[in-house]
Amino acid sequence: MMQEVTTQPSFIIETKDLSIIYADGHEGIRHVSMGFQRQHVTAIIGPSGCGKSTLLRALNRMNELIPGTRTRGEVWYKGQNIYASSVDPVLIRRHIGMVFQKPNPFPKSVYQNIAWAAKAHGYSGNMDDLVENSLRKAALWDEVKDKLKKSALDLSGGQQQRLCIARAIALQPDVILMDEPTSALDPIAASYIEDLISELRKDYTIIIVTHNMQQAGRISDYTAFMLLGDLIEVGLTKKVFVAPEDERTERYLTGRFG
Amino acid sequence: MPREAFEHSIEELNARITAMGAATVDALQKAMFAFRERDLDSAKKIKKADVLIDMQQLEIEDLVATTMATQQPVAKDLRLLLCAIQMASDLERSADYAAHLAKATKFFVQDPQWRQTAMLEQMASIGASMITDTVNAFIGRDALLARQTSLMDDQIDHLHKTVIKEMVLLLGTRPDDAEKVTKFIQVSGYLERLGDHMTNACESILYMVEGVHAELNP
Repeated sequence: MMQEVTTQPSFIIETKDLSIIYADGHEGIRHVSMGFQRQHVTAIIGPSGCGKSTLLRALNRMNELIPGTRTRGEVWYKGQNIYASSVDPVLIRRHIGMVFQKPNPFPKSVYQNIAWAAKAHGYSGNMDDLVENSLRKAALWDEVKDKLKKSALDLSGGQQQRLCIARAIALQPDVILMDEPTSALDPIAASYIEDLISELRKDYTIIIVTHNMQQAGRISDYTAFMLLGDLIEVGLTKKVFVAPEDERTERYLTGRFG
Repeated sequence: MPREAFEHSIEELNARITAMGAATVDALQKAMFAFRERDLDSAKKIKKADVLIDMQQLEIEDLVATTMATQQPVAKDLRLLLCAIQMASDLERSADYAAHLAKATKFFVQDPQWRQTAMLEQMASIGASMITDTVNAFIGRDALLARQTSLMDDQIDHLHKTVIKEMVLLLGTRPDDAEKVTKFIQVSGYLERLGDHMTNACESILYMVEGVHAELNP
């Protein structure tokens, strides 16, 4: 279980005894200790309310945006605990970007969606290059190169989601967190995103929360299973999906609960 | 995952594996009878039964393929389907050996000297028990029964070695019967291989139940 992964030294993010407690006292996640492999895809799965999105948001301090939320434990990224008082959460979110369930482009042009976020984070290089490179990496360039000045809201849902991924890429992150990035998309658009994730893994570490177990099986290298706020099992996806260690993982994967 | 549809497929799979196991045992027992009694008519019927068993295997493969495609099983469910394919394959091979045994009847039909079939009958009887127990272990997801069943293969192996020794001795006294001796050892070999296939099936049952590969009776 845990040992299999933690013996490998190439974690980019590591949580240590991490708990997130909401304002009402409910523990979203409890004592989670796990590592995320650099330049791999890790999927976090589990039934609704298991804490998978809470864990994801804890990795770039997004839970702090929910009033009254408390964090216990540590999240280590590049040799520092991102919850240390000296750390700027905005800077952390630039290095550890996030893509949400519902595409949320700004109501601006395709070009401005990328440029505006980069500028806000202090980018001062050639903006045209950055826009093109980011859109290319998000496998969107060919579809939008002739309509960069058009409103992003005119794009299809799948294109909007890839634009959001391009926007995250433009900030040159190490890690991209994805919270059910395809659940609002049709199967074809979802398959584009899945292909894109496989491609992005070469340059970035991807951590994805998904309700779709088949998707987790298809695209992830590692799978973490959560239940009622606890991390039950984490390991190589090919192992977890064929012969999981924990009976609860087995029961969830085979649809016996959740 | 819609559990109900999956469970329905598994029930059907259990029924088909059980039927295939019963048909294989039946073929083996009838083949042994035909061989012992030099009954060519009975032997020919085994060939026809083998064609039906081959079809049973294909039907099980189709059912597994459909279930995989429509239900996308993982973990224990996936291992169960993989095991079912392996079971069907090992049963099909075992039925082939029963057919080979029946076919060998014609070599001995005219020769009253070749009545010493007791050891082969013993091997066939253990083989039939192995098939039945292996199917029961599959249906019951019973790792212990699979382990126990695989141990029976030792008895078949021992009998096979004894047959070989006896035949070699016989060859010393009846050098003209070299062809028949060879055939007799071959027939014993069919039954020995049948035991190996059931051991193989038992290994896949262990994988199904426990999720780890184990070599039984190496």
